[in-house]
Amino acid sequence: MKITIPHMGNVYMAIKILFDSLGIDYVIPPLNNREALILGSKYSPEEICLPFKLMIGNYIAGIQEGADTVLLVGSCGPCRFGEYSELQIRILKHLGYEVDFIVLDPVHSIGFHELMKRIRRIGNESKKTALQGINAAVSAISAMNLIDAIEAKAHEMAGYEKNNGECKRLLSNCKSKVFSCNHPDESIKILKEYHKKMEALTVDSSKNPLRIAIIGEIYTVIEPFSNLYIEDILMDMKVSTKRTLTPSWWVKDTLFKTMKLNSRELMHASEEFLPLCIGGHARECIGGAVLAAREHMDGAIQIFPMGCMPEIVSKSILPNVSKEKNLPILSLVVDEMTGEAGYMTRIEAFLDLLERRREYVRIGS
Amino acid sequence: MRVGIPKGLLYCKYHPFFKTFFSGLGAEVISSEETNKKILDMGVKACVDEACLPVKVYHGHVASIKDNCDFLVIPRIMRICRCEYICPKFCGLPEMITNSIPSLPRITMEPLYMHTETDFIKWCLSAGSVITCNKKKIKKSFYIAMKAQRNYQTGIYEDGKGLTVMLAGHPYIINDEFLNMGIAGKLRSKGIGIVTEEFANDGICRSQVKELVKKPFWTFQRRLFGAAAAFYKQKKIDGIIYLSSFACGIDSVIVDLIRYHVGEFPMLVIKLDEHTGEAGMDTRLEAFIDMLERRLIREDNNTAYGKCLYGNQNFV
Repeated sequence: MKITIPHMGNVYMAIKILFDSLGIDYVIPPLNNREALILGSKYSPEEICLPFKLMIGNYIAGIQEGADTVLLVGSCGPCRFGEYSELQIRILKHLGYEVDFIVLDPVHSIGFHELMKRIRRIGNESKKTALQGINAAVSAISAMNLIDAIEAKAHEMAGYEKNNGECKRLLSNCKSKVFSCNHPDESIKILKEYHKKMEALTVDSSKNPLRIAIIGEIYTVIEPFSNLYIEDILMDMKVSTKRTLTPSWWVKDTLFKTMKLNSRELMHASEEFLPLCIGGHARECIGGAVLAAREHMDGAIQIFPMGCMPEIVSKSILPNVSKEKNLPILSLVVDEMTGEAGYMTRIEAFLDLLERRREYVRIGS
Repeated sequence: MRVGIPKGLLYCKYHPFFKTFFSGLGAEVISSEETNKKILDMGVKACVDEACLPVKVYHGHVASIKDNCDFLVIPRIMRICRCEYICPKFCGLPEMITNSIPSLPRITMEPLYMHTETDFIKWCLSAGSVITCNKKKIKKSFYIAMKAQRNYQTGIYEDGKGLTVMLAGHPYIINDEFLNMGIAGKLRSKGIGIVTEEFANDGICRSQVKELVKKPFWTFQRRLFGAAAAFYKQKKIDGIIYLSSFACGIDSVIVDLIRYHVGEFPMLVIKLDEHTGEAGMDTRLEAFIDMLERRLIREDNNTAYGKCLYGNQNFV
């Protein structure tokens, strides 16, 4: 069995560490690129959302490198993400690829027994003991936490750094080093080293950069290719950004969901505008905007793929959040278009507005 | 008190219940007009751009009656069947409406679970409490309304002069003459028989759905896929016409599931949006029907120039 996974930001790092330490054969497809997008949109249903299309591109690249099994997490509604596996299995079969799918659905919809059965399908490939397996999972999760922490710090400090472009350089060096490293302990060592470097960054705290929250649909905010590298663009513009939705947040959220103890702060913040869970991460999006206002951030940028049902609901609520909480919000819808001009113009205009707002507007918007 | 019920989304399926229930409580019930250009325009203006056509039209219906009533029924239908959803936009419908349309009267915000009676009554008690405090009266009205709903059948089932097509799509598109540009009438005038998903046996639908890898979690996905697969298997139909609205997230999945299931079987997908020009629709319908008719004569499914249309090629 040779496993491949779809990309979502830095998740592949954790998967690599997990499979390397378990001794399972795997293929990490090349990071999302134009080719994946073109292949994906060629074979996917026309109106499905962007993550689906990129994933198809990833699978095909993975399969061409010899993978025969796809590992995917799932959900059971009401958002389309739950139906991804169903359609993707059919599409790949139709294209003549013989692949198995292991779909890790949430425990409350398929039951503990079924979930364990699916996890065991991966576990059986490994010759390691159960204890070593747990150790591997722990180090994978700690790697995920580390890279998320490094990334968050880099994005936040980009506005305060003394040496121009240092945050971005550190972050990209770290990523490329981990990408080329195939030894789990070595990878974690690199991550720890960069975490220290990030902490020791020389900052100029007298600076007062724009602070923006990135909210929206989880895949498109995490996967840089899908949002045309918005966080890198903002780092270049010396804007300090914050994003709550990260892979490590997702893991924590999924674990605590069964006990309904997940992300209480976000849920509480969204209560006023959207009291119910409507699928996807609409509540987290609204909650993120409210929290951003509470933390006196300058603005928020919502990103979601075209046609995303939960985010359409949150987009219709956001103008009122913006009005009531006095927080400018920009909504960006991403699809297969990769032309940057329209995108950049909007971001620049938004940043200009935020800057002038600081100078001229004291109350209201 | 005057209760307003917008004539959009699942109104077409459940209006006997809502009308009987609220008039049983002693309220005057009004509903908006049939969908028309004015309502569509109002909806497009009020609603968020990315939403699908039926949701936009629903906004229009709300905007058109909000000033004539004291209480608006905007059911947040979470569930019709056990363990299934309708669509995320249904779950957030009251929020979409309140945040897009200003100066609304009081509206229903409670989630509505229709799959069990106890959950259903809970919603009725909360909605009814606006009109009367008499719980007994609300419960009594609920049972009368349930009775009125039980005998209500939507959908179209007509025999034609030979060919029969399945008219697939969400009920709020199939039953809205304005949105679907009177497609049923157009087919009727051409002598085509029509059958909709409501006339597929639920048991057969469920057994067909078992062929899917994953249990469907949208009610309309189960119904539409199940019905199309059942009709196809029983050879009840000669083709499928799927009416879908642009940017409908659920249709983007169902259409392809059906397409993979039926393979070479004739299927026409018509996307509806704010355009009201009918020529494009007519052309496609005519072409589709011509093709179906020729298929009857030439059983080998050949095209005009003698080449097998689908053969073993991928149709993706």
